[in-house]
Amino acid sequence: MILGFRARSPGRSRLRALRELYRCFVGENTPEARGRRLLCEWLSEEQRTQFEEHQYFDVIGCDTGTRYRIHYGTAANVHEISEAGIAGMGWCFLPSGYLVPGDVMLAQKIALETNETAALAVANRFPPPGQSTHLYRRPF
Amino acid sequence: MATQIVMDQTGDTRHEFDPRNAEAVARAEKRFMELTGVGFTAAVRTAPGEVSKVQSFDPTAKETLFYPRLVGG
Repeated sequence: MILGFRARSPGRSRLRALRELYRCFVGENTPEARGRRLLCEWLSEEQRTQFEEHQYFDVIGCDTGTRYRIHYGTAANVHEISEAGIAGMGWCFLPSGYLVPGDVMLAQKIALETNETAALAVANRFPPPGQSTHLYRRPF
Repeated sequence: MATQIVMDQTGDTRHEFDPRNAEAVARAEKRFMELTGVGFTAAVRTAPGEVSKVQSFDPTAKETLFYPRLVGG
């Protein structure tokens, strides 16, 4: 009887709703969530759709026209993509300062779309998935 | 209002200013110079999904994004 009364108590419902609201608020304001939100704001519609479906998006290098795929992550997450959609050489570069994945990916997008040559000049190269794990370092 | 968005370990920090307020614009320009002076890259959105790097402060830009210097990983 008492348990039944307590379960229906409006006070408990309000408390539960407040807890849920707080959990949502905290979840949406973590650095990771903020970075992801910023990234989505700056992606094109096509890139945003691709990212929501696959956790990666493609960009076209402004200097060479090469297609790159930027995966969710902060390191070793950029690969050249052939016309057949096959992952090629990887490029590892990121903004300094231990940023969250969304921020890193946005900086990588902007760098490749606006100053590809400079971005690749600082990057370390690594082989496509399934090939040697040896890391190719600049200026190879 | 215009916004300067600076990437950092919290995700980002946003600084809003009124482009019609000369004092606020001066503060924003100072921030722009300080950030780019220590290696940050500044970029603005020219269209949805299209981005352009900027070398000088533009008080009319609605949003300017700053990210730290790129390094090899």
